[in-house]
Amino acid sequence: MTEKFFGKAVKRVEDPRFITGAGNYTDDIVLHNMTYAAMVRSPYAHAKINSIDASAALALPGVLAVLTGKDLVAAGINPIPPGWLLPDLKISAHHAIQPDKVTHVGNIVAAVIAETRAIAEDAAALVDVDYEMLPAVALGSTALAEGAPQVHELAPGNVAFKWEIGDSAAVDAEFAHAFKTVEVKLRNQRLVPNAIEPRSSLADYKRAGDEYTLYTTSQNPHIHRVMLGAFIMGIPEHKLRIVSPDVGGGFGSKIFQYPEEVIVLFASKKLNRPVKWTATRSESFVSDAQGRDHETVAEMCVDADHKVLALRVKTIANLGAYLTTFAPAVPTYLYGTLMNGTYKWKAIHCHVTGTYTNTVGVDAYRGAGRPEATYVLERIMSRMALELGVDPLEFRRKNFIQPDEFPYQTPVALQYDSGNYEPAMDKAMAMLDYAGLRAKQAEGRKNGKYIGIGVSTYLEACGLAPSALVGSLGAQAGQWESALVRVSATGKVEVLTGSHSHGQGHETAFAQVVADELQIPMEDVSIVHGDTARLPHGWGTYGSRSAPVGLSAIKMASDKINDKAKKIAAHLLEASVDDIVHEDGKYQVKGVPEKSKSFFDIALMAHLAHNYPADLEPGLEATHFYDPKNFVYPFGTHLAVVEVDANTGHIQLIRYVCVDDCGPIINPLIVEGQVHGGVAQGMGQALLENTVYDDNGQLTSGSYLEYTMPRADNMVQLEIGHTVTPSPHNPLGVKGIGEAGTISSTAAIANAVIDALEPFGVKHLDMPYTPEKVWRAISASLPQAADD
Amino acid sequence: MLLEGSHFIHSPPSRVFALLNDPDVLSRCVPGVKSLVLDGTDSYKAQVEVAIGPVKGKFDGKIAITEKVQDQSMTLKVEFKSPVGIANALGTLKLEPENDGTTVHWAGEPQLMGMIASVGARLIGGVAKVQADLFFSKLELEAQKVES
Repeated sequence: MTEKFFGKAVKRVEDPRFITGAGNYTDDIVLHNMTYAAMVRSPYAHAKINSIDASAALALPGVLAVLTGKDLVAAGINPIPPGWLLPDLKISAHHAIQPDKVTHVGNIVAAVIAETRAIAEDAAALVDVDYEMLPAVALGSTALAEGAPQVHELAPGNVAFKWEIGDSAAVDAEFAHAFKTVEVKLRNQRLVPNAIEPRSSLADYKRAGDEYTLYTTSQNPHIHRVMLGAFIMGIPEHKLRIVSPDVGGGFGSKIFQYPEEVIVLFASKKLNRPVKWTATRSESFVSDAQGRDHETVAEMCVDADHKVLALRVKTIANLGAYLTTFAPAVPTYLYGTLMNGTYKWKAIHCHVTGTYTNTVGVDAYRGAGRPEATYVLERIMSRMALELGVDPLEFRRKNFIQPDEFPYQTPVALQYDSGNYEPAMDKAMAMLDYAGLRAKQAEGRKNGKYIGIGVSTYLEACGLAPSALVGSLGAQAGQWESALVRVSATGKVEVLTGSHSHGQGHETAFAQVVADELQIPMEDVSIVHGDTARLPHGWGTYGSRSAPVGLSAIKMASDKINDKAKKIAAHLLEASVDDIVHEDGKYQVKGVPEKSKSFFDIALMAHLAHNYPADLEPGLEATHFYDPKNFVYPFGTHLAVVEVDANTGHIQLIRYVCVDDCGPIINPLIVEGQVHGGVAQGMGQALLENTVYDDNGQLTSGSYLEYTMPRADNMVQLEIGHTVTPSPHNPLGVKGIGEAGTISSTAAIANAVIDALEPFGVKHLDMPYTPEKVWRAISASLPQAADD
Repeated sequence: MLLEGSHFIHSPPSRVFALLNDPDVLSRCVPGVKSLVLDGTDSYKAQVEVAIGPVKGKFDGKIAITEKVQDQSMTLKVEFKSPVGIANALGTLKLEPENDGTTVHWAGEPQLMGMIASVGARLIGGVAKVQADLFFSKLELEAQKVES
């Protein structure tokens, strides 16, 4: 038997280079004759640009050019369009450099190109921009209010879109005869993505051939090639190569088409020299697309048996000043469709108003719409349990969709193909000793020890996505994935994948699967990604799609290699192809193991073609384009335990149990790592992170002094379990795990905090649960001292 | 955020008022001032160097004195800009005779924009207090100097 890798905790093959500083990130690339760009960014949230005086900047030795929005417009550069359309969507023109007006702090008004980064930055400070300040608005609900400042003339009342899903009348009918109803008002605060590697772009225009190469921090280089080539800059796609080498974290923020990429490409051609730009952390805070930012009112009702009836959700989604690439899809199709969760609703209706504000654009951030939906749903489910006086887990159990009810059609478009929710919940409860802990909690409360247990029995839809379906919903892209498996003459295998790895460990997990399929050693397989010049067209990595979609394509391309290998073996072994089996790393005649050819033999003969079937093409490579039939539906139960210090309001996470069902696990080490990172990120939202704009649209949390990132002392050793319910429609049965931790943990921890505060009569607080906020809530509930 | 404070100067209101309207005195007293010149009636052009937490910048700007009541009060409109952002403020100074001197009550609402807002906003209160302390201690020295 050859060694099987599927399911093995193989250490990540990419890690040695990352942890020894041998990674090759965009900013590591240094080209001959390279120049540097620095951006001049607006300090105003909303202002007219009266004039720009670049004379002092241009006078600085080493400055090569100062570009303004008017230069780009004059050269025929188009604004950056969104990549997803909705009916009646009001699209604001997002220029790479704003020619007339700025609409958020950090908006680019000019770009300086110079011989060194230091000169470029000094010169950027010398560009004198005369602004006329306009009134600004930062909060979604404020933007919708009567008389609010107008962000864009084309969007009256700052409404970018109104969108709904579900049956409003059916929901009303359920509420009319409900046994009990509850309402929650929730603020899902805005988050800054904070990838460790800041964005960086390096453009290299070559006059010979009139060709452009752009090295950039991207999760999906082909999307940039289409957008930059066809829509923004008019560069023929075959003259534009996009390379995203090692990328240090994305979390969604590196999906999108950014202005700086347009600027360096434009400048490189203008100067006929390479141009590099790398963000400072301060720039990242005001230029990377941000996440979440919802204001929601949700209501639900149950019948007398505590069966859920209907859910009504109204959300204001703050989109910021511009529609970034997937901005219209995140608070709509990735949000409203997830409102069903794991429960059996009779009716659901979700209405979303997308608003423009004078803030950085909001788009996909780890989970993208699904954490927001899960937060609404899991908070209101726990609130209903509290109001009914029943256990929040048993309340959920009573309402789960049952295993024999799949495929299950939800009232919000999705059709779940598989699921089995109770075993995951039972396992999590057993791991936690749920009953025992509830008893301890009750005992503790008598002694002033306040712990809280929170649950989220989440479900997510990932593996984006069936192309025809998303096309019908407004996507301006396909969402299939490509794979090319190329076997060399000596049997070494390159796997070219349109999925991009920026922390996910594809070079390991994908190689494990290919090694199994071809029955060869893992070290004979390399995974190639992130270069449009090498790969077939692909759509990149987001929406936990790499394993269910990208790896499915690889598996099917590998099948084609095996099919061809069998034909070559049959010829060489003078046997019928139907009698060839692939066993023990060999292609052999069934029942005659001594009549066999190794993978090496086959690869060599495919290249030599000396003794070869007449009707077969030489060479050994195969391409497959895989378009999934459905989303995949991972689910699970997360249980968070927190302790509140009633004197200080400090919240400490003390236990965290998660049982996820992501289907068959290729590499438990990588899955565990994804869960760790995801839970930590979700915890960050629940307890620490908040993006604060003041009333003038000024970002007042623009550094790590003010924006609190998760640290080791906020975390606890996770207790991780799994159940395995394969996806019925992809060849490996795999589902996604990259976003699950974030999707589930925010709600679980929020529910734990509110559960801990129950003795103080606190039924809701908005995140993040900072000590001050918690302390104030506790203090407000206590009897006032006599001398107050 | 409204910032305010008061300082006692050992000099009568008329003297203090005159000092507060003397560009040379102000040049010597305003912390970090690189230049301060009269630019029309009750209007100054200035360049100051200020650090707010980790952000340091050279600010160019204008100070306009409006609503001046001789020996009693004045309102200041301050607009400064720098590569690290913009600081605007509307401030008032009220002079109150007290014992053998004058108590100066100051109040202002600064509006910060750009980088100084994103990394310095919550530090501005402390910075303003330190700057005010420095300013008024120097003004006290000026008052003594003139009188002696």
